[in-house]
Order: sequence, then structure tokens, then C-alpha cells
Amino acid sequence: MNFSNIDLKDLACLIYETLMKAGIDAVLVGGACVSIYSHNRYQSFDLDFVTYEEMRQIEKALNPLGFQRTGRSFIHANSPYLIDFVNPPISVGNEPIQHLKTMKTSFGALRLLTPTDCVKDRLASFFHWNDAQAFEQAILVAENHKINVNDLKRWAQDEGHSNKLKGFLKALRSRQTITSTKPRNQSPVK
Amino acid sequence: MLEYLFANKNVEKILMYLAIHGKTNASQLSRTFHSALDPIQKTLRKLEEGGLLVSFLEGKTRVFQWNPRYPFLSEIQSLAKKAYSFLPVNIQETHYQSIQRKRPRKTGKPL
Repeated sequence: MNFSNIDLKDLACLIYETLMKAGIDAVLVGGACVSIYSHNRYQSFDLDFVTYEEMRQIEKALNPLGFQRTGRSFIHANSPYLIDFVNPPISVGNEPIQHLKTMKTSFGALRLLTPTDCVKDRLASFFHWNDAQAFEQAILVAENHKINVNDLKRWAQDEGHSNKLKGFLKALRSRQTITSTKPRNQSPVK
Repeated sequence: MLEYLFANKNVEKILMYLAIHGKTNASQLSRTFHSALDPIQKTLRKLEEGGLLVSFLEGKTRVFQWNPRYPFLSEIQSLAKKAYSFLPVNIQETHYQSIQRKRPRKTGKPL
């Protein structure tokens, strides 16, 4: 199979479906979710999956596609993307993630973080390391999707970073004011 | 989720060292514990893969510290601190409390 022209979302679906056929449950997390939810305005080249399965079982499933294992990652000679398997659990900070989103494409299904959890995931990097890129990525996702702001506020308070969340929500409101057309599926932040 | 924790004897040394100092690198640990560098580097990488530690480059040195996003961080830190408190005082002093220079030192001055 030629992987040189496949985009991130289709590749993520293909990997997910391949793993599922081998009986391996996995969830896409991290920057790849940002790429998908921001319609590639942020381009990640890492596909981070969380799974409880042993690496040798994953290797067995992905080898037929031509992916070669290096540690917990897989690379393909014809693909710019790195497939990485992150140690479980699926969490954002101190909180386990209970609800996931399933999307479908022509390549099959894909389970990934919800937009709200994707924003939390990016904000966690901003909270702990003042990572400006992660802040921008959180904005990109929140601009394009309906976010549960109350849940975000509760989570940020539990993490001890309510003030930093206020800064994020202020920046998001400001973007929404500047943008003349209302973003898709987005309710104004209150 | 936690299998990487008890993989080898270096893990507890690293966890207790981080409980006291907050950050470290492989060479520093190797010198402190008079251990070979390679197994310590491997253990640090394993803990990073497990999500408990993160690392940053400071110059040419890869510095490891706790991952503030790790969901079981406070529990692991408590365990490491408690384990440290059970160490004999002479081991605490020799390996964990040796005073390291942290203030700046002008380039060219002899150490």
C-alpha cells in the first residue's frame, strides 16, 4: 500500500481499523486530534494511540502494512507520520477520560478524544509548561467545535489552574469577536 | 499502567532522588550511585515512556523531571518520599543529600 499521499485522518482510521481487526482496542490522543478537529490548520506528524495491549501484539498487527517498530513507535518508509503508542491510562491531568468520540470516514471508524477533552489535553501543556503552541492548538479546536465550557472550568479548578483557563477563555472570546462569521458548531463562550 | 515502575533496582533510586532534588540527568545519577551510565539511561527512558517523567535538553544534557500531567504523580511522589524516609541516615547523606553547587560559575574559572 502507498502511504505517501494518505492524510493524517485517513491513516489514523486505517491504523485503528487494522488494530481492531486484530482484537486491539486503541484510542487516538494528542496532537493528531488537534489536526483532525482543526481541519489541518495545525499539522501533526505524530499519531499517538493509547492501548492496553502488549507491544508485540501491536507489532504483529502493523507489520503487514509495512510499519517497522522502534521502541513504542512505528515508522513506514513511505509515510511522514510516526505512529506512537502511549502508556495508558487515557487521562488529562488527574482525571481519567470516560467518554470518547467515534468518527467514521471512507477508511473506517476511529475512536478519539472528544473536542472538549482535546482542548483539556492541550491546555494541560499550557498550564504546566506555559507552552504557547499548545495554547494556540486549544484555541484552534475550540474555535471549530462546541466545547463544554462548564466542564472545562471544573477541570481547570481541580487542576489548580483556573486563572490560566480565564486567560484562555478571554483569548477565545476575543477571536470570536474578531471573526466576522460564526465558526461551525460553535456557541459563544460565556 | 504501572508495570514499568518496578522493572529494576535503579527505579527506586531515581524516584527517591527526584523526590529530593526535583530534576536530574543520567550522568549525575551515575556519579551519585557509582553505577554504570547505560542502565540508568535505559531506566530513565523507560520511566519517560511510562509517562511518569518528562525530559528537556539543557545544552547537550537531557534533564529528567516529574511529569506534572501524570495521573498518579502525587501517589508516586508520596511513595518515593516515604521510601526515602526509611533509608538509613548514612545512605541518605551519601547518595541523596550531597551538596551540589547550583549557583553560577564564570566560564574559565577553575572548578
